[in-house]
Amino acid sequence: MLKTTLAGLRAHLLRLVLTALAITLGVGFVSGTFVLTDTMRAAVDQQFTASASKISVAVLPTGSSNDVPAALLSRVKKVSGVQDAQGLVLGSAPLIGKDGKAYGDAGTAGVSISTGALQRYRIKPGRPPSGPGEVVLDTKTARRAGYKVGDRVSVLDKQGRVHSFTVSGLVDFGVDQEVAYRGGVGFTAATATAMTGEHGYAEIDVKAAPGTSDAALRDAVAQAVGGSYEVLTSAKLADRLARSSGLSTSDLSVFFLAFAIVALFVAALVIYNTFNILIAQRTREMALLRCVGATRAQVFRGVLAEAMVVGLAASALGVLAGVGLGAGGAALFASADDTSVGSVTVSATPVVVGLVVGLIVTLVAALLPARAATRVPPVAALRSQMEGRVKGRAGIIRMVLGSPLVLAGLLIIALALGSEAGQQPFVMVLAGGMMVFLGVIALSPFIVGGLSGVVGWLPARLLGVPGRLARENAGRNPKRAAITTIALTIGVTLMTTFSVALASTQATATAKLAEQFPVDYQLTTVGDQLIPRQAAAALRTKPQLSDVIEVRNADDARLDGEDTLVGTVAGHALGRSIKPEIVAGSITDLGPGTVALHEDTAKSFGVGVGRQMTLTNGSQRLSLRVVAVFSGETPTPEVTINEADFDRTFGPKNDSEVYVKAKKGVSTDVSSRVVEDATKAYPMVKVGSLADMKEQLTKAVDQLFVLVGALLGLAIIISLIGIANTLTLSVFERTRESALLRALGLTRSGLRWMLSLEAVIMAVIGALLGVVLGAGFGWAAISAVLDGVVLGFPIVRIIAFIVVAGLAGLLAAVVPSRRAAKASIVASLASD
Amino acid sequence: MISTAVNAPPAVAATDVTKVYGSGDAAVHALRGVGVAFARGAFTAIMGPSGSGKSTLMHCLAGLDTVDRGSVMLGDVEITGLSDRQLTRLRRDRIGFVFQSFNLLPTLTAEQNMLLPLELAGRKPDRAWMDHIVATVGLRDRLSHRPSELSGGQQQRVACARALLHRPEVIFADEPTGNLDSRSGTEVLGFLRSSVREMGQTIVMVTHDPVAASFADRVVFLRDGMIRSELARPTPDTVLDALKRLEV
Repeated sequence: MLKTTLAGLRAHLLRLVLTALAITLGVGFVSGTFVLTDTMRAAVDQQFTASASKISVAVLPTGSSNDVPAALLSRVKKVSGVQDAQGLVLGSAPLIGKDGKAYGDAGTAGVSISTGALQRYRIKPGRPPSGPGEVVLDTKTARRAGYKVGDRVSVLDKQGRVHSFTVSGLVDFGVDQEVAYRGGVGFTAATATAMTGEHGYAEIDVKAAPGTSDAALRDAVAQAVGGSYEVLTSAKLADRLARSSGLSTSDLSVFFLAFAIVALFVAALVIYNTFNILIAQRTREMALLRCVGATRAQVFRGVLAEAMVVGLAASALGVLAGVGLGAGGAALFASADDTSVGSVTVSATPVVVGLVVGLIVTLVAALLPARAATRVPPVAALRSQMEGRVKGRAGIIRMVLGSPLVLAGLLIIALALGSEAGQQPFVMVLAGGMMVFLGVIALSPFIVGGLSGVVGWLPARLLGVPGRLARENAGRNPKRAAITTIALTIGVTLMTTFSVALASTQATATAKLAEQFPVDYQLTTVGDQLIPRQAAAALRTKPQLSDVIEVRNADDARLDGEDTLVGTVAGHALGRSIKPEIVAGSITDLGPGTVALHEDTAKSFGVGVGRQMTLTNGSQRLSLRVVAVFSGETPTPEVTINEADFDRTFGPKNDSEVYVKAKKGVSTDVSSRVVEDATKAYPMVKVGSLADMKEQLTKAVDQLFVLVGALLGLAIIISLIGIANTLTLSVFERTRESALLRALGLTRSGLRWMLSLEAVIMAVIGALLGVVLGAGFGWAAISAVLDGVVLGFPIVRIIAFIVVAGLAGLLAAVVPSRRAAKASIVASLASD
Repeated sequence: MISTAVNAPPAVAATDVTKVYGSGDAAVHALRGVGVAFARGAFTAIMGPSGSGKSTLMHCLAGLDTVDRGSVMLGDVEITGLSDRQLTRLRRDRIGFVFQSFNLLPTLTAEQNMLLPLELAGRKPDRAWMDHIVATVGLRDRLSHRPSELSGGQQQRVACARALLHRPEVIFADEPTGNLDSRSGTEVLGFLRSSVREMGQTIVMVTHDPVAASFADRVVFLRDGMIRSELARPTPDTVLDALKRLEV
């Protein structure tokens, strides 16, 4: 049988190449994910090891305290076997960019650069800072801000004063994720302490004297510092750092693997359909084999052997493609992140998993077709060709299975939407959505059969006989058409779910911004800096602006004995310029001795309007009555008290945030220039506008969409291969029918049109079904996680999905329809 | 009323038609210089043993296949050398077909199948003519049925109605009774003959059945790709005799 199998493979090479492509793409995705994460993890591990190897022992703060007190350093230095010990200062030291404003969104981190043997960062080009007038800049920060070695740069200290430094070198802080995000400036230890205002150390690094082992030193240091600090050897430290970062690479691989599974599932459907096609085409061949003495089992094994050869070959190619994909992906991530990537790491995992998964998916998908092959009776060899069935009967079992599934799924979703938004309803929606989808798959022959008439209506009306025939043919074998279209539906459903959820998130955020954030500009600062009150005062003098709202916060207060952030809104803005959603009471003219609470805070304290609460700050004590509870996203601090009460309790603080409204009729250009000018003198102040926020939101949403779209694109491409395959089978089955049409006067282009339209109708059905399901799932999912959601529907994008699907169907039909049109009428009429 | 006028130009004529399949040692000479004319309003049968080239001749006459040498005239149109598009248009406007099997599109109803050539040509059916034909073939209550719901004889009558409906200059029938029982076959043949007698239709039929051939006005005999003899006003017996002589 093996020889027959191989001969069969050779004869149907082209069809199998398409099928193999489906497997190769799916397996490539899986293997690529492993190669990508392995490569990234290896690069990270290497950095950690290199960084940690410079030190022998590290002293770290434990849970309760944020830093290691400076006094501890001298105690560590006295431990015998210590060659050197230095504290690592880590705080905020915003670098000022060339535009006069603080660099980045969060302000750069200020880091101390250790000296001597403990200097663990790579500094290139240049050298470490050698005194109070020098700094090193993080390589990435320097590149983005446009600084180089030798430049003069300004950095803000804790009080917001500007200090000037010379850049002595560029440093790679490597694996520190906080620094990677914020950007970083490196100082000598003393300067770092002065600039950041940090009193302690984030870590104390210790170098062992020659002859002292790391482990022995660790024990000695641990004894000296006492139990409230953690003391680790460098090996342990590297291990831990790598593991905490490994978490993010494993998140990444889960994310990608989810998409890979979708692609593989779609590939399985395509393989299933293709093997069905091959069996149908070779009915007579199978029958002949049975005639000359092959048993059912032999036919079954023959088909499975064929699947195995195809699955193995395609999976092997897929693994190769995966290595390429993974390497490309790693390079892409590295370039997006401005880091360099190490050599590509290929472990056994992507190879083994890729081959096994590809083989199993292929074999499972070929199982049913192989069973169908055993049912071909020997006498079929003598019969003339079976014509393509006119109407396949879609089984009652599907109805019985599908309908309750859909109903139960819808019920679960309805229940989820009826309850309060949160994680549990989301999980319910997820489960309900999967049940609905499985039900729809079971019912798909009915749905696709029905839809083909609807979708085909337009071509039937507009395009004459080819259009009408295409409509009839698309609904002709609902089971096959259903599997073909469902493969496409999966991709489109996910794509739509995602874009509808994104659009709804965006619409909700925009609506909330407009409603509760009725401001045009927002002034914020980087790091833990505050906005000098002069900034708001300067803004108030501008005739183009109507409102300037100052929000002040204090984080050293206790409310009813609990650490709480307390704030105030200066002036009379509350209830006038800022209108948070009121749950109870009134927030307007918040008088002395009263407090307004956010709903969440009120809940956690278990209080409501009318209750008395006590605010303490050191020896200060203030009795407050709750007069309002508000909700939603709002600039109003969660615990808001009267301005005079605030000043008395916490002293005259600077502003945490300032909100500005422009006068009506003042153009955005003018108002934004006025605000920029008024705040130029304060480098730590960043001006954000509502328009900017909306734009950033849109940009973020679009980026996310592109990423997910690209990942789901693969599943969609695979499903198009399925459409091409199905159409090829239809063309083959209807050879004589097509010849008859040609004989009766259908032109070649008419025949091509007919087949292309059939593919378009199938593709559009798949896309429509996906859009409907996806929109429902997307809305349900977003309503389950967010309360008061504004549902969005990205109409242009959705229409684009359907149009692109139709065009793709057209593309998939090119080869089969050309082949059908080229066939000779006489030969086709005679064929049996 | 066998033919309108003796000197009228034929409906279809082949002159020195040659057709070779394959090349070299494998070459099959299907037609070797066939010259034959089919009169208007006549029912002509083409007969011959298997491999005699009778189907090939019909395919060439109907513009389904190309010839290697010689010419085929359909009325006053020389069809050898027409493009595929022109041939397609010629077939749907001026030629009708009845095949041995698989004559109907399974997705269309009987009525839709009948109207297919007209619709492909973008022409409107003549309702009175349609009613007349439907009545003649006796399918009035079967119009909305799909082929799978019709018997073989009924299917073949739908095919005949389809061929007649657009009043083609000639109908080519390729073994129209080959798949039918004798009763249905006789019905179909009677119907074909009456369409010649009463509607003046021209029909060229390929068959190997002497009884079927006896329904024609004239029988042309082919062997090894050449016309060997012909017979006017055939009966089953004279056709059998002629066939026996052909074998010799």
